[in-house]
Amino acid sequence: MQMATAEEKSPTPEAALQKRVLIVDDALFMRNTLRDIFASAGFSIAGEADDGVQAVNLFRELKPDLVTMDIVMPYKSGIDATREIVQLDPAAVVIMCSALGQESLVMEAIEAGATDFIVKPFRGEDVLAVVKKVLGH
Amino acid sequence: MEPPRKYLPLFVAEATEQLEELSRELVRLEAEPPGGPLWDSIFRRAHSVKGSAATLALAGIVRIAHAAETLVGRLKSRPVRPSRPEIDLLLEAADALLSRVRAAARSQRLDEPGDAALVERLTEAARAIEPPPAAPVAFAADADSGLPRLKIAIELSPRCAAPSARALIVQRRLRSLGSLLDMQPAPQQLQAGQGLVRLTATIATKATVDEVRASIRGVPEVDAVYIETPALEKPASFPPVLPEADRALTVRVRADSLDQLLDGAGEMLLGIARLRDSARKLPETFSAAFEGEIDRLRRQARELHGRVMTARLTPFSALTERLPRAVRDLGHQLGKQVDIEIQGTDVELDRAAIETLSDPLVHIVRNAVDHGIESPETRAAAGKPARGRVLLAARRERDSVVVEIEDDGRGLDAPGLRERAVRAGALTAEAAAALDDSRSYELALLPGISTKSEATDVSGRGVGMDAVQRAVEGLGGAIRLHSSPGRGTRVTLKLPLLVSVAQLLLVQVGGEVFGLPLYKVLLTTEYDLSARGGEGFESRSLVVGGQLVRAYSLAKLFGLPSLAPPGPRPFLVMELDGVRFALSVDRLLGQEEAVMKPLFPPLDRIQGLAAVTVLGNGRPLLVLDPRGLYQMAGAPEGKIKGAA
Repeated sequence: MQMATAEEKSPTPEAALQKRVLIVDDALFMRNTLRDIFASAGFSIAGEADDGVQAVNLFRELKPDLVTMDIVMPYKSGIDATREIVQLDPAAVVIMCSALGQESLVMEAIEAGATDFIVKPFRGEDVLAVVKKVLGH
Repeated sequence: MEPPRKYLPLFVAEATEQLEELSRELVRLEAEPPGGPLWDSIFRRAHSVKGSAATLALAGIVRIAHAAETLVGRLKSRPVRPSRPEIDLLLEAADALLSRVRAAARSQRLDEPGDAALVERLTEAARAIEPPPAAPVAFAADADSGLPRLKIAIELSPRCAAPSARALIVQRRLRSLGSLLDMQPAPQQLQAGQGLVRLTATIATKATVDEVRASIRGVPEVDAVYIETPALEKPASFPPVLPEADRALTVRVRADSLDQLLDGAGEMLLGIARLRDSARKLPETFSAAFEGEIDRLRRQARELHGRVMTARLTPFSALTERLPRAVRDLGHQLGKQVDIEIQGTDVELDRAAIETLSDPLVHIVRNAVDHGIESPETRAAAGKPARGRVLLAARRERDSVVVEIEDDGRGLDAPGLRERAVRAGALTAEAAAALDDSRSYELALLPGISTKSEATDVSGRGVGMDAVQRAVEGLGGAIRLHSSPGRGTRVTLKLPLLVSVAQLLLVQVGGEVFGLPLYKVLLTTEYDLSARGGEGFESRSLVVGGQLVRAYSLAKLFGLPSLAPPGPRPFLVMELDGVRFALSVDRLLGQEEAVMKPLFPPLDRIQGLAAVTVLGNGRPLLVLDPRGLYQMAGAPEGKIKGAA
C-alpha cells in the first residue's frame, strides 16, 4: 500500500528543483549529456569537474545534493574521489557512471562508499530512475 | 490458491534443464576442489527447482529438492571433497526429481507425496555433516537469534547491466536493516547477461515486513521483493523464474514444429519441381517466361528450406550431456577409473543427426570404457597412468562435422578380429591373411564381430558396431577406425552438416525408378558385358581407369526383370571402404534434388534401401543404400580383392 503510493508518484520538476548536481566526468560529451538529462528533469547544475581532484574540491565548496562520478579519470580516479567525498560527508550521495565491463571497479567504488551507479550507455529515464530512488522520491 | 498450471509446461522444461545440468555438475564435482563455484551452481539449481515447484504446489518435488538442497548446502561448506556415496545419493535425488517432473508433465495429479525413504536418507546424510564451524565472515553470526528472521527473495531487473554491483548494493541495504545471516548468490558470483537474477537472503531484524520491503524496493533495479514471514510454515510462494534476458534473444520452439516447418518447406520444393515438370510441356513461347519465374520461386524456396534446416541445427552438447554420467557409472561398475573429456560442445549438427547418433555414440563410448580402457592395475603395469581417458571431440570441417571418440586403452586386437571374421564366414582365411592390421580394424564394423571372446553385459547389449555404421551411413556419413596396440583406439565419424537434402541420381531398372545419393557415385560408364558372356551374369568385372572393378546387376539384386536390350548398358561405379564396385542399371534418368525422409515400416526392413522421397511428378522414390547393396551382393572386402 505504502509502496504503491511511492511508485505512482511521479517526480514533479518543482520537487527536483531544489536538488543540486555536481557532474564529474573527463569527457565533455558525457558532461553535456548528463547536464541535459538533469536539466530536463528540473535539477539545477551546481558544477562540473573533469578530474577527481577537482571533484573533491568542488564538492567541499558547493555541497551538492548529488554527485555523478565517472570512474576512470586523470589525476585521481572516481573511486578515490568518492572515498574522500564520503569521508567529508558520510551522507553524500555519489552515483558512479561506469561503462559496461567495469563491474569490478563499480563494486570497488561501492565498497568505497558510492551510493549507487549507472552503466553507460544509458538513457535519460534510466539515470533519473536511479536518482529518484536514491534521493528517496 | 489455484496453482498457475498454464506455466506447467514451462516449469517442466526449465526444471528438466536445471536437473540435467545439476546431474552433470555433480559428476564434474568429483574432479573439483571443495567449495568450488560448481557447488554454488548446484545449490542454485536445486533451490530454483524447489521454488518453482512450490509455486505449482508440487509438494513431493519440493520435499526432495529441499532435502537435497540442505545436503548440498552442508557439503558445500565442508572443506573436504564429497564421498562417492554422497554424490551417488545426490544423483539419485536428481533422478527422482527428474522423473517426478516428467510425471507432473504427464498427469493431472500434480501433488504426489515425496519419496519418504529418499528424503529421509538425504536428511540423514545432511545431519551427519557438521555444520560449518562459523558463519562466513560476511554474514552475522547467530548472535541475533532472539530477533525475528525474514527470508527474502529479491528479483533484479533483467535490464540490470551490472548485477554484481547491484547485488552488492542490495547486500548493503539488507545489512542496514538488521543482521544479514545469509545471502545467495554472493555478489561476486553474478555475471551480466545471465537473465533474471534472483537473490535470496535471511536477515534477523526488528523492522516490520513492510518496512523491509519498502527499503529494498528503494534500491534501483529491484523488480520484485518477496518476504516469507516466520509465522508461515509453508514454502515461500515465489513465482517461477523466467529467464527474462534470454526471452528477448531466443524463443523455445517445439522440436516437432520445426520438423513440420521443414516438411512444409520440403513440400514446397517438391511442388515447385512438379510445376516445373508441367511447364516443360507448355508451348515454348510461354514456357520460357514461366520457367524463369519458377526458377526464382525455387531459389526462394530453397533459401527458406536452408533457413529452416539451420534453425534445426543443434549443438553437439545435446549428444554428450549424458555421457559423463554414463562413463562414471560404467567405470564404477567395472572397477575402472576413467575421465571423459568433451571438446567442441558448441559445434552444431542437424537435429536428425543428433537424434540418430544418440544411441550409437553412447555405444562407442561404452565400448571404449568396457573394451578399451584397462583396469588400473593393468595400466600401471604397462606404465600408463591409472586413470584412463576418453576424448570426445567434434569439429566443423567445411560442410561436414567430424566427431572423434578416442581412448588411451589397449587398442583393437587385429589378429583376433581377422580370426573372428573368418569364423563368422565374412572372410576367407586367405583374404584374412592378406589383410594388414590397419585394414583389419574395420572388420569390427561387420555384423557379429566382437574383439572380446564374450561380450560383457555392458556394451554387449543393444546396438553393435554394425548398427553404428548403418546409422552413420544412413545420415550420409562415414565411419573410420584407427587403433594402435597398447596405445588406444580412435573412432572417427564424418557427418554432413545438413543431412536431409541430397542430390540424387535417378536410375531405372525393370520399370522401377530408384535414387542414389550422387556423392556416393564416383562415375558412370557404359559397358557391354553381353559381348563377354551373355545376359544373366551374377557378377562380372569391368575395367575402370585401368582397374578391374567387380560389377553387379541391380535388377538381379532386387529380383527385378531387366528390360534393357542386350548391348551396352550404364554402370554406376561406387567406392566403399576403399574398394570400388559397379552396379548395372537399365537407364540413367537424370539428377534431382530431394528431401530425404526416413524409411517407415515395413520398408525400413528391406536391405539396400536408405530413405524415401517424393519426386517432382509426385511419385514416391526409394533411395538406395550402397552399403546394403554391396552386402546383398555378398561381397565382403576379401572377396572383392580376390576378384581383382
